[in-house]
Amino acid sequence: MSDQPPKTRVVILGGGTAGWMTAAALVKQLGHACDVHLIESEEIGIVGVGEATLPHVRFFVESLGLDEADFMKATHATFKLGIEFHDFGRIGTHYLHPFGSFGAPLNDVPFHHYWLRLHRAGLGGELWDTSVCNVMAAHHRFEPPPSGSPLYNYAYQFDATLFGPYLRSYSLARGAIRTEGKVVDVEVDGTTGDVAALRMESGERIEGELFVDCSGFRALLIGQILQEEWEDWSRWLPCDRAVAMPCTSDGPLEPYTRAHAMSAGWRWRIPLQHRVGNGYVYSSAHISDQDAADALVAAVEGKALADPRVLRFRAGRRTRSWSKNVVAVGLASGFLEPLESTSIYLVQGAIAQLIELFPIGAIRHQDRDEFNHAVDVEYDRIRDFLILHYHATTREDSSFWNHTRTMEVPDSLQSKMELWRRSARVAKYSQGLFFEPSWVAVYVGQGIVPEGWDQRADAWDSGKLDAAIERVRRQVHERVAAMPEHQAFISARNAAIGLPE
Amino acid sequence: MNDERSIRSVAVAGGGIVGLSAANAFARALPGSDLTVVEIPPGPAALADHLPTAHPNIARFHALIGIDERELVRAGVASYHLGTIFENWPAKSEPWVHAFGSYGKPAAAIPFDQIWVRAKCAGKALAYDRYSVGAALARAGKFVHPARDPEFVGSRFEYGLRLDPDLYRARLREHAEGAGVRFIAGDVGAVERREDGGIAALQLATGGAVEADWFIDCTGPTARLIGALDDSIEDWSAWIPFDCITLMSEAASAIPALADRVCAGERGWTIDWPLHGRALKARVGSDGDTKIARYRRLRPFVHNVLALGDAATALDPLHGFQLELVHRAILLALELLPGRDFHPLEIDEYNRRAEQVMRRVRDFIALHYVQQVGVENAPDSLARTLDQYGYRGRMPFHEDESVTRDSWTAVLLALGVVPGNLDPASGLIPFEQAISAMERLAREIDQTVAELPAYADYLARITR
Repeated sequence: MSDQPPKTRVVILGGGTAGWMTAAALVKQLGHACDVHLIESEEIGIVGVGEATLPHVRFFVESLGLDEADFMKATHATFKLGIEFHDFGRIGTHYLHPFGSFGAPLNDVPFHHYWLRLHRAGLGGELWDTSVCNVMAAHHRFEPPPSGSPLYNYAYQFDATLFGPYLRSYSLARGAIRTEGKVVDVEVDGTTGDVAALRMESGERIEGELFVDCSGFRALLIGQILQEEWEDWSRWLPCDRAVAMPCTSDGPLEPYTRAHAMSAGWRWRIPLQHRVGNGYVYSSAHISDQDAADALVAAVEGKALADPRVLRFRAGRRTRSWSKNVVAVGLASGFLEPLESTSIYLVQGAIAQLIELFPIGAIRHQDRDEFNHAVDVEYDRIRDFLILHYHATTREDSSFWNHTRTMEVPDSLQSKMELWRRSARVAKYSQGLFFEPSWVAVYVGQGIVPEGWDQRADAWDSGKLDAAIERVRRQVHERVAAMPEHQAFISARNAAIGLPE
Repeated sequence: MNDERSIRSVAVAGGGIVGLSAANAFARALPGSDLTVVEIPPGPAALADHLPTAHPNIARFHALIGIDERELVRAGVASYHLGTIFENWPAKSEPWVHAFGSYGKPAAAIPFDQIWVRAKCAGKALAYDRYSVGAALARAGKFVHPARDPEFVGSRFEYGLRLDPDLYRARLREHAEGAGVRFIAGDVGAVERREDGGIAALQLATGGAVEADWFIDCTGPTARLIGALDDSIEDWSAWIPFDCITLMSEAASAIPALADRVCAGERGWTIDWPLHGRALKARVGSDGDTKIARYRRLRPFVHNVLALGDAATALDPLHGFQLELVHRAILLALELLPGRDFHPLEIDEYNRRAEQVMRRVRDFIALHYVQQVGVENAPDSLARTLDQYGYRGRMPFHEDESVTRDSWTAVLLALGVVPGNLDPASGLIPFEQAISAMERLAREIDQTVAELPAYADYLARITR
């Protein structure tokens, strides 16, 4: 075993959410093994619309040792119990994809098999009422789950333009170096092909052993310099633009994100403490920018706080996110539309892998392969789950939905859907996102009813089963009725750490 | 609707432990279905029907079929099993213990083996198994059930069972009868096929036939049923080199030792499995009484035929994975229980998952022979493990990983695959503090074990 090698010089290019999340994690977890230098330019600006997150982000916040109440106040964050989808399977329907499970397994058989059996017999009521998350959301209640409870989980909805700066102060206080300015040239080592240094407009030359490309869609290092290929997924995920516009908050504070299907895509509604984030994600082949902006303005529920702003993107990923000595994190590595709030999760996942495979001296190809494999798995799994939302529909009201309803989906998704259709089974995996309750929620919520179920669920008398499910439902409602309102919970927390701004 | 897809009848071919395990599990999980066992006596190469080792997961299987572990122990059918003592493996090494359960305690999410390697380099570590409660118990010849309090070292181990194969088989048979399973003595003659390629009925040598929706092939490596439908296999003989076994039984003390004992020689190895009042022994090498197969059936589920035990996967008896794999396969078949049309989609899903489960067991066993057969010849997924662990102590992720990180690291380190570098993230914890925690743990383990009653006293108390 060798002694502690000298510190690795890490240069992070880009100071958006991805850049500062990387910097914060590295100074915290690997501060003894690396020096972190981040380059950002205020002129370039950030995308920063990723406001909704998944429960995994709690682990990130916790691992940095941040105080939740303080972090939430600083980023005007609210709690999030899931995403409520409107009009996806059919116009007029809605369901909440919860951060929690439906019922509990009985004799090793997942709960939904019992529910399905009753449902087919006209019994069993609504699946949604058996999930604590769904009932909390419906009543705008919030209370953190008891620690270690498998019943439900939560995430945050926060102002992404404040999250980056929050992590910037954190990182700078722990030794990260920040350079403001534009990169004008990238120096590549002629022998190895590695990036050797970045040249700044100011003339400064910044060297490093490892470069993290957080330059967003520009992908300055991984794309422009190293020319790593981009795998395009727009045939399955045709949305390529979004128009975003914040508005005032009216009505009760919802502890969830809303996704409303629109004629050429969908519209998000993300409630924060001080405002509501809105945006229309659409396919430019199916609607013009102006029509999309008009549709957004007409649909928002509060008073507009800014003019609509258009963003462009394309669905897909870099075939290799780690190439030579450049690791792409965030949009430089790939993009999947925010339908399931996966952007920050993907950043977090890449950072976790980078820490797990952090170079010990020279970078090895085996470690790069491990990293790229892990990133691939994450992207593939999320891709299939997103496509399902567009494909599992009976909508015939626009060319957009006609396209997604009839398109060929990846084989990996096709077999998952068929397995569900036949026997209500969810193809199981434990690496990557979206486990059984998530798939069940979307399948059931978008109207794919299976032909059969686990025959072990037939062993129970249906009257007794129906009564048992009714008991579960009552317990869930009693529990939720005792919880505080979401708004009241947040106000009390803010008050406890000082008056809200 | 579901009535049209439910399996109504199951026929199990094979009257050994494998067939009877399947019969018990399916009879209880599928109430209302008819279960028939054709009691073909298992051949000598059907190791899963003859070996006594059961891993800790057997508790889950016994809970499923309603068998009480303490009752088995009381009746002398089973005894407790903590792991395996390895001697001369690698050659001339100090004996080491592979025990079920955890080794050491992680510190701030840094795995214990990382801390141990660092301490070892500084000359401040005892042998790796000194930080395992299971190993300490096995060495001391003591046993208690794990404590519930997770803070107490007495909770940090797991145990399996050692089963007297003849007695256990008889017990399973009796238990199956209680669940309404029908038994037919005799042998299977011809296999009657369905138009779709599946099996319609088993013709009995004694006349008559057994029809069923679903057939379970528990006939050992000859795979009498599934072999007629599909014969594609993945050959493991290049990775698990010894192809012969000689099984022996001899009288022994009434109180069986808690660990199996494996002793490596130049041309093979021997293993002792102490049972109540006798000891089973085996010699594994290039010659012996019985040829052992080493392979995985690529499709252990074909049409309406599911292969279990050596008909599906065969390997040598190292660590005694045979029965464990049978249990895992049964639980997987239940988790993915197909409709009685046995749609290819549902069958493929079983085969996909089964492959994931089997792959890592193959890798784990192959690891023990990797020096002998050459690291460069290791299967890809094992090569990745060797590279990542040997370089930086990282264990790559595998879906359905069937071997715990604790087991992997205990064996890797014992076989000399020691990380050449420290994982940078492990530098996060204060080293001195981690070392004193290690020292405390070793003392706590030794002291806890020393204070325990003798195994005979504990047994007398719980079997009263």
